[in-house]
Amino acid sequence: MSLSTAFNVISSSFAANAAQTAVVSNNIANVNTPGYSREIANVVTNSYGGADVASITREANAALLEQVSSSTSQAATQQAISDGLTTLAQTVDDSSSASSTSGAGQNGASPSAMLANLQSALTTYADQPTSSSAADAVVSAASDLAASLNSASAAVQQVRETADQNMTSSVNTINSLLNQFAAANNTVVTGLQTGANVSSAEDTRDSIVTQLAQQIGVSTTTAANGSESIYTDSGVTLFQDTPRAVSFTPTPTLVDGANGAPVTVDGVPITGANSPMPIQSGALAGYAALRDTVAPEYQGQLDQVAGGLINAFAESDQSANPTLPSLPGLFTTPGATSLPLTSATTGLAAAIEVNPNVDPSQGGNPNLLRDGGISNPGNPAYTYNTTGAASYTGRIQELIGQISATQSFDPSAGLGSSSSLIDYANASVSWVQAENQQASDSSSYQNALATQATSALSNATGVNLDAEMTNMLNLENSYASSAKLLTTVTSMFSALLQAA
Amino acid sequence: MSTVGANFVSTQFLANSLVAPVMQAQSSLTTAMTEESTGQYADLGLQLGDQSGYELSLKEQVGQLQTLTSGNSLVSTNLSTAQNALSAIQSSAQTTLNDLVAWTPSANSGASLQNMGQSALQSLIALANTTSGDQYVFGGINSAVAPMADHYSTPASAAKTAIDQAFRTTFGVLPSDPGAANISASAMQSFLSGPFPALFQGASWSADWSSASSVNTSAEIAPGQTVTTSTNANQPGFQQLAQAYAMLSEFGGSELSGDAQQAVATAASSLVSQGLNSMVNVQAELGSTQSAVTNTNSSMSSQLTILQGQLGNLDTVNTTATAAQITSLTNQIQMAYELTSRLQQLNLAQYLPVP
Repeated sequence: MSLSTAFNVISSSFAANAAQTAVVSNNIANVNTPGYSREIANVVTNSYGGADVASITREANAALLEQVSSSTSQAATQQAISDGLTTLAQTVDDSSSASSTSGAGQNGASPSAMLANLQSALTTYADQPTSSSAADAVVSAASDLAASLNSASAAVQQVRETADQNMTSSVNTINSLLNQFAAANNTVVTGLQTGANVSSAEDTRDSIVTQLAQQIGVSTTTAANGSESIYTDSGVTLFQDTPRAVSFTPTPTLVDGANGAPVTVDGVPITGANSPMPIQSGALAGYAALRDTVAPEYQGQLDQVAGGLINAFAESDQSANPTLPSLPGLFTTPGATSLPLTSATTGLAAAIEVNPNVDPSQGGNPNLLRDGGISNPGNPAYTYNTTGAASYTGRIQELIGQISATQSFDPSAGLGSSSSLIDYANASVSWVQAENQQASDSSSYQNALATQATSALSNATGVNLDAEMTNMLNLENSYASSAKLLTTVTSMFSALLQAA
Repeated sequence: MSTVGANFVSTQFLANSLVAPVMQAQSSLTTAMTEESTGQYADLGLQLGDQSGYELSLKEQVGQLQTLTSGNSLVSTNLSTAQNALSAIQSSAQTTLNDLVAWTPSANSGASLQNMGQSALQSLIALANTTSGDQYVFGGINSAVAPMADHYSTPASAAKTAIDQAFRTTFGVLPSDPGAANISASAMQSFLSGPFPALFQGASWSADWSSASSVNTSAEIAPGQTVTTSTNANQPGFQQLAQAYAMLSEFGGSELSGDAQQAVATAASSLVSQGLNSMVNVQAELGSTQSAVTNTNSSMSSQLTILQGQLGNLDTVNTTATAAQITSLTNQIQMAYELTSRLQQLNLAQYLPVP
């Protein structure tokens, strides 16, 4: 080996040292960058025995990344559903009440509590049927009940509309992320062809996939040329060389019974009942479930309660030979001319009101509660108190009985087909709170999983400052040695030249 | 060059590892402190889940029992008022009966009969019109109208007119006409047992004497237990006493002979005795309702205790356990702060000599 070869080796050592120092510096610089994968300089022996940095690899871990994105998606779904249910649960909030000595009127704001208040007011009225203040109290309890159904129904509509708006912004985010992904993916593919360092572009791609997973459940595959494709968790292509168009038409107003539009990818619906490949996770799936399934089911229950109320308080023909149909009594909807069928209650919870004929604030006569004839004060056929006795309580007691009497409900609302009105209303409260509890538990569980997966990924691919510092010390030493070697070889050359 | 293995920990993870647990502990601490101060779960609905409906139905039962209990106090008031009035009616009847037994026909004795009848009848009508609150307690369900009209009103009441008419139909004269002196005791007796009682029964009673409804008020005194909570002025006792007092008042001071007056007094005392017995029966019926109300009140009160106990099990937290939880959470958070500051020291750069 000649001295000049030694020079070459030393010079390659400096070059390799500089390249490794650059990698260490880069790693240290990104120690706190989320999603940064540390770089490793691969050093090989070159043809004349020196060292070269042949390549720089990223410490990637596809399996852990997949786990992070899937648990992030699941957590986002549950979070979206849980947020919506929290709003719905406020309509049945009774936490303000004290169990100990609270009387009627302090059971909270749920339709169920309001129904119990109405029952109490009726019971009091039955004890003093001549008292107009007791009659007014019944009418105001009935108004509160109708208002609580109206506001619960409005809350459901609000939740659905908010979910629809969130779907719009989620779809916008997805489209924007897919375009960013296209740019990063392009950089990776061309970089790999030209041999450039693509680590940073790959980091960007991973980070976009993680952000995407927040919105929609995804899976990825990488082609031989380094191009990555993204599919939804149901298998619909979102990105393959080019981004696919994710489109959604918002529905600004979602009244009871109205359906929102589905999200489509290349024209294929990925949400809703008609989707051949519905997405399973991500915030978008959560919003869609909330808008299309959870909230409408609760709405259906509210409508059933409203329909049940109208039917329970209906007035029938009291003639000896009844020929007239039963009509809505204390509870009605504007313009109603007949009783609703249990199978056709859509929109009742939003529209239910106390019959103006009995409401003193609208010029009505609250005594009609006792006497009957609310439905049609002009028609004596609907009068129960035929003698006009002041202490007639037959009708009031009948009404009290109706609240706890078994009646039929539409089983498609999910709470069975036969129950008393008050039990049905209670079951609806249970349903909301159970769904809320489940979504909340599931959300914390999935969040914990996502945190764990993120930690694992960070540990597998992140930067440890101490390790980098150790590397740095190694590099310092190797630089010092190389410099020493250079000095020695130089002095050997000098000695050789002086000797000559 | 790098050392990858199970022991590898990224610096970022190390720095942030305590953030999530501290946040979780802080959130649990807020919840625990709320629960400690209120004694109830911070979010009851979230805590109970599908038990919420059950909890609500317990609350509704509590509310219903409380409403019934307070309604029962109203029922009790009405019943006591009716009982007091009935007792007063009885004592007035007893006085009249005693006076009748002591009475013997003599000059001007008719006037004392008349006074007896008139004061007793006035007292009967006043007591029959007893009110409790805004309700006439003997009105049946027709509680807004006074059950009995003033007998001595001007113009003459329907009842007085009917009596005069019946007398004239039978004897051709009015009781105040001098011709009435010729009516024999037996004729008077047959009038008092024939046309006269008819005026105090059935349609005549309803038309001339009583506006009360024969349908009594009823109330739910316990869940599913509806009882009759009043009596009404159409009871036989009222009819018998009104009949007795009316015959004394209308025929006592009249021109009737001593024998005929004796016949009136005899018929009246027999009717007052019957009336007294009838009133005792009415009182007994009301009394049994009163004791039913008392019994249901006490059973509802013990039911309330049980229901409230169940509610307490559902929605109150164990404050001792919460206090212990708060202590351990506080310790955990302090420990985490301590560790965070220690971890900041664990940095190789701190220990390297400055070149």
